[in-house]
Amino acid sequence: MNKKILIFGIILSALMISSCVKDLDVVPIDPTKILAGNLGDDPVYMKEALGKLYASFIISGQGANGGDDIAASDGNFFTTMRALWNLQEITTDEAICAWGDVGIADLNTQTWSPSNPFLTALYQRLALSITYANEFIKNFQDIDTPDAVRYVAEARFLRALAYYWAVDLFGQFPFTTEEDGVGKFFPTIATRAQIFSYIESELKDIDTSLGEPRYSYPQADQAAAWMLLARLYLNAEVYTGTARWQDCATYCGKVIDAGYSLATDYRQNFSADNDGYHNPEMIFAWDQDGTNIQGYVGTTFIIESSSDAVYIRAEDFHGLTSNTNWNGNRARIQFMDLIVDTLATYGNVAVPTSDPTFSQCLDKRVFLKQKKAMNIPSASSNGDYGIGVYKFTARNHDGSEPENYNTAYACTDFPVFRLADAYMMRAEALYRLGGAENVATAVDDINLIRERAYGNTDGDITSADLSLEFIIGERAKEFYYEAQRRTDLVRFGMFTGGAYLWQWKGGSFDGASTSSHLDLFPIPGDEIAANPNYNGQNNPGY
Amino acid sequence: MEKLTGKRLFMLTFGLMMSLVVLGQQVRVSGTVTDAADKATLPGVNVVVKGTLTGTIADINGGYSLMASPGDVLVFTFIGYLPQEITVGDQTVIDVAMRTDVQALEEVTVIGYGTVKKSDVTGSVTAVSAKDFNKGAITSPQDLLVGKTAGVVITTSGGAPGSGATIRVRGGSSLNASNDPLIIIDGVPIDNNGVSGSSNILSFVNPNDIETFTVLKDASATAIYGSRASNGVILITTKKGSAGSKLTVSYDGNVSVANPIAFVDVFSGDEIRKMAYDKVSLFGIDNLDLLGQANTNWQKEIFRTAVSHDHNLSLSGSAKSIPYRLSLGYTDQNGILKNTDMKRFTGSLSLNPTFLNDKLKVNVNIKGMNSNHNYGDTGAIGSAVNMDPTQVIMDGNEASAGYYQWANYGANLGTANPVEQALEADNRSVVNRVIGNIQLDYALPFLPELKANLNLATDYSKSTGHNNRPGTSPSVLTSPLYGRLTDYHGTNYNNLLDFYLNYNKDLSSIKSNVDVTAGYSWQHFKREGDNYQRGIIDAWHTYYQKSDSSSFITENYLVSFFGRVNYSLMDRYLVTATIRDDGSSRFAKKNRWGLFPSVALAWKINDEVFLRNVKALTNLKLRLGWGITGQQDVGNDYPAQAVYRESSEGSYYMIGGEYIPTLRPDAYDPDIKWEETTTKNIGLDFGFLNDRITGSIDLYNRVTDDLLNTVTISSGSNFSNTLLTNVGSLENNGIEVSLNVIPISTNDMTLTIGINGTYNKNEITKLLLTDDPEYIGILYGDAFTGQKQVTRVGYPAYCFFVNQQVYDQAGNPIEGLYVDLSGEGGVVNGDNADKYIYHNPVPDYLIGLSGRFEYKNFDLSASARASIGNYVYNQVAAGASYDQMQQIGYWKNFTRALAETNFVKRQFTSDYFVENASFLKLDNISAGYRFDDIMGGVGARVSVTVQNALILTKYSGLDPEVSGGIDNNFYPRPRTYMLGVGLTF
Repeated sequence: MNKKILIFGIILSALMISSCVKDLDVVPIDPTKILAGNLGDDPVYMKEALGKLYASFIISGQGANGGDDIAASDGNFFTTMRALWNLQEITTDEAICAWGDVGIADLNTQTWSPSNPFLTALYQRLALSITYANEFIKNFQDIDTPDAVRYVAEARFLRALAYYWAVDLFGQFPFTTEEDGVGKFFPTIATRAQIFSYIESELKDIDTSLGEPRYSYPQADQAAAWMLLARLYLNAEVYTGTARWQDCATYCGKVIDAGYSLATDYRQNFSADNDGYHNPEMIFAWDQDGTNIQGYVGTTFIIESSSDAVYIRAEDFHGLTSNTNWNGNRARIQFMDLIVDTLATYGNVAVPTSDPTFSQCLDKRVFLKQKKAMNIPSASSNGDYGIGVYKFTARNHDGSEPENYNTAYACTDFPVFRLADAYMMRAEALYRLGGAENVATAVDDINLIRERAYGNTDGDITSADLSLEFIIGERAKEFYYEAQRRTDLVRFGMFTGGAYLWQWKGGSFDGASTSSHLDLFPIPGDEIAANPNYNGQNNPGY
Repeated sequence: MEKLTGKRLFMLTFGLMMSLVVLGQQVRVSGTVTDAADKATLPGVNVVVKGTLTGTIADINGGYSLMASPGDVLVFTFIGYLPQEITVGDQTVIDVAMRTDVQALEEVTVIGYGTVKKSDVTGSVTAVSAKDFNKGAITSPQDLLVGKTAGVVITTSGGAPGSGATIRVRGGSSLNASNDPLIIIDGVPIDNNGVSGSSNILSFVNPNDIETFTVLKDASATAIYGSRASNGVILITTKKGSAGSKLTVSYDGNVSVANPIAFVDVFSGDEIRKMAYDKVSLFGIDNLDLLGQANTNWQKEIFRTAVSHDHNLSLSGSAKSIPYRLSLGYTDQNGILKNTDMKRFTGSLSLNPTFLNDKLKVNVNIKGMNSNHNYGDTGAIGSAVNMDPTQVIMDGNEASAGYYQWANYGANLGTANPVEQALEADNRSVVNRVIGNIQLDYALPFLPELKANLNLATDYSKSTGHNNRPGTSPSVLTSPLYGRLTDYHGTNYNNLLDFYLNYNKDLSSIKSNVDVTAGYSWQHFKREGDNYQRGIIDAWHTYYQKSDSSSFITENYLVSFFGRVNYSLMDRYLVTATIRDDGSSRFAKKNRWGLFPSVALAWKINDEVFLRNVKALTNLKLRLGWGITGQQDVGNDYPAQAVYRESSEGSYYMIGGEYIPTLRPDAYDPDIKWEETTTKNIGLDFGFLNDRITGSIDLYNRVTDDLLNTVTISSGSNFSNTLLTNVGSLENNGIEVSLNVIPISTNDMTLTIGINGTYNKNEITKLLLTDDPEYIGILYGDAFTGQKQVTRVGYPAYCFFVNQQVYDQAGNPIEGLYVDLSGEGGVVNGDNADKYIYHNPVPDYLIGLSGRFEYKNFDLSASARASIGNYVYNQVAAGASYDQMQQIGYWKNFTRALAETNFVKRQFTSDYFVENASFLKLDNISAGYRFDDIMGGVGARVSVTVQNALILTKYSGLDPEVSGGIDNNFYPRPRTYMLGVGLTF
């Protein structure tokens, strides 16, 4: 009997061993995890994968189901649009941030180094959005349904947009397409001019595959691609050394003829109802929603970081009541002088404290408020000093509460391209091209914008008023806090150097001249170390 | 009553003794003590007249001589030999031949898949048994072992009831993969992934049930566990019933009182008010109105004196031929932070019958636990340091249930009221866990040297919990919700099948013994859980405020083949060779299997002819070991596959006009594989004077290659900025010394002293895919408090990475002034280029000290630990600055260290806050008295213990023992006074 037990045992063991070795071939058993090979199983997966390409620019990751897309010391801090906003705004006259977090002080005073966490995160996030897009294009480019064709074109648009910001901020950048795999390889580094050409050819190539303008907000359509081309050409001289003003004007014209119209109320562009379904001006924006697309990111970040417990209470100004008033960002006094036009408005006297919201100003784009003092006594003074900004709000533009209202998260979308910019870009391009007809069109374009701002024709200009200085000033008035300032100042040669100084630029109260190599951000130190194709070489000056 | 009985007994014995002395006619008795086996004389044997203090010790030639009366009984005792009693008659010469205590000699040590005689161990193995455990109100098994073995560092995570501990054997061998040792309880390996709702993976084991911990340290001992053995193996054996014994019932219970040792030294309300006026230019005159009139000591308000009790009942014996042990435990532990406690029931049953003429040995173990945790809100500890002491606890505001809250006064980011935070949290979990195994060991009838062993085990745990806050809690605690309701569930499954054959044969013709084991193991781990969080919906908050809901289910398999050969020649030369072939489902097919070999040699030098006559030397064994172990616990069950993950609600996007979840590919490395650690070990075990002095010295070198490391990868190459991949190497070198001395050993009195010392040096030797000499290393820290730690090539892991503070002539730090280490000039702020590596959190030297003194029925024991060269970053002090004291609309308190630094802005990256946290801790001191028979055969023991009795350190924070090296208001370890009672009948 014992032998029988033994034999039985041996057979049983042999069976178990062979079946058990097979156990090592596992696939995820979690229904929220799908293998790459299963993406074709359900058409909704393609939509969801496309949704990720968009979401990767605005929120931090997958929420409780998988956390942030990149490893960083704070998920919300280092999202694309939040980091981009910081690099584009607090490095300029439009904003300064009071927080002591690592890297902020360096941005406030143009003294950053290659280890700055904001520029590191933005560099990595832009590359990641490109990698996600490459993967999407590779997986779905061979499907010829109308949806798939359009979605792949949208993925190529988003990839081009990420490359555009990379070119603008960093110049050279790792270059990958859907041809590259996924693993541990070292991507080649493309020059600024090479990536410029790639963006241009991609955007032209997808023109016919993208949806018609306004086909499905907030997805990218033809008008979004034209706007991106226009902005690329607007800055072409900075990126490649060769100006492309005519191309810029051409593509702006296509957008202007595409059926968009300016919102009657300027403020609607920065309110919870600024989306393409309610706002005729919005061309492309990152969607944010109190219920569905949450995070201390994008416009929620802009609103909260610019609110405080005393002067601009988020509860009162924006209807956000939970975890509010971070008291970080506010504008510097030179910016106030510029957009309030204090000389014209208040004469040669200081702005009276009795007019804390600059109500005497005729230009109704001024959403500024005086705080404790207008001068910021030290670069690290708290947020009670400086000029408060409340342009973005979590309420609808009529003051009502939005549909998916949330006490902590705004429903306000982050505008990337709106019609006003098509007019302003065309005006600048035509003015720079010169010629009476061009300048006349430029004046008309600008007056269109100013008539909305003033509510009448009192602010209209003539061709005699037009100058480069006027244009950069008008762009500041129209687009402040929209993450464009640094790019604009660089194009006008005012970001670095001594031509235009603002408080704490270069680290001194009156502002100091800074080196022109700062027009480009450095390649992050982590990336120089991780990719031998850089040969240890950073951008010039770093 | 017990005391009276004891005293009476003592008097009785004393009286009897006196009468004997008076009655007897004393004569001189002498003789020689020899070893019954080889007739050699035995020096050092104790000879005592029974029941008296009269006694002597045999001299170098085994001779003794003492005065005794006819009728006296002489007791001869010696370690390793059976005691003998001889009644003195009329003879004056009594020669005694002592017989060796077979049981003692045959003392076996548990090793992987089997046991060996203690004397035949070839690897670096340390066993700690119940008598040497730490004493006190101990509810976690790890606490029993703290400081008891060289090379094992156990750091409890704090003083919370039932809290866990990190265990590091010989320093960590990994960076990003797990550094936890493999823990095996009665043959069942435990999943190091915790159970949700439980903070301690070993909480299901009642410390009173543990018989021994056996720590396998070097690769030759652990390699049989292959891919999970890189960080050492700890084998826990629980108590069993013994064959043929009668029913023994024993009860052990204790009551303990725990107190906070100290509070963080913060400013009082009066001091804050004075400071606010003194520095009005800094704080602003408007803000003075925000100060209250109170002097609240917030820390005092949230801590308490906590009384706990613990009861254990065990029944052991043999029912017919089935030895059994049943034990039941109940623990009711209250934490010193209000609203934290743990109530736990444990039960365990073991049966070890034998059948078929002892050919089939069966071993059944079942352990169960039900625990109810109340975690409270430990965030209140930090809030109590920072909350403005000028405010009252209650101001009667209805919006916040009567508590003072800054949110009612215009600052909704203000510090939460610590008392509300602590008391109104409803953060509880219930965890049930069952772990059972049946082990069959069968000696084959036709070949008795061959045994087959089958072990089947299952480990199942289920937890449910919630973490709620009422709608009256401030939004800093609930944001973005109104109130907060969180439910979670978790279930873990772990099934095991081990089968092995063991062949053991004496080959007397060639004076050899071979012991061969070959087997196979299959293990399956599966975990699932969910978490659902939302706000409270009431009449005023009717909108949908769902925040997060998530769930997961994940599994992995391990399949292994293993073998071992033990060969001994002339019982002097020992060779052990092991091999394990491990397959893990975590890796792709081409990398799935890993082979882990080891070899060890041991030479029992004292058995050589030339030393055989050196009686003073009882043991001298040289051990040499080499082996490779692996690590596959990468924290993710599918690291080699491209997996797409759906986002949870709140992280959707709008596609086609609808909000839908998004689908993200996770970063993966298709080539990921085992991490490999190669260990070399040289050890020497020694014993002198019949093992009155024993000890060992081990030197080791451990090199880990293909380190599983999360590194920054080149952007554009994968689906994240970092990737867990095999890159880098690290090395640990160390020395371990342990020494046990028994200076006194008589019938009535023993004194045992144990000392162990550990030195370990960790160094990173490679980190990146590329070899960039400029590479700064992997930085750790967060956006708010800066990057303060680094892992860099050429240095130990997790070094502090800080700016070098400049001091004024008075020796005070100058705010924001650091040495320009980069030489680049300009402003030296928190930039990494100007930082330097300054110490690390791991001690260079660790010393464990324990002593036990017994005199008759009285015993006294103590355990102490010294840690030398460990540094701590004092984040509690670093967070203090004047500008933070008045924040947007509210006031904050800080440690009085601010009065020394006088920093206006926080200087998180200053090396000023990196402090030498070397310490000496008297972990416990315990005294007990045993009553042999209080009545009707009932034995009793009463003991008193003080835990965490003394801390000597220069560290300025509360406690220098900080897991991870960043001191940030963790749950303080209390001082505990315990009264224990044990009864046996």
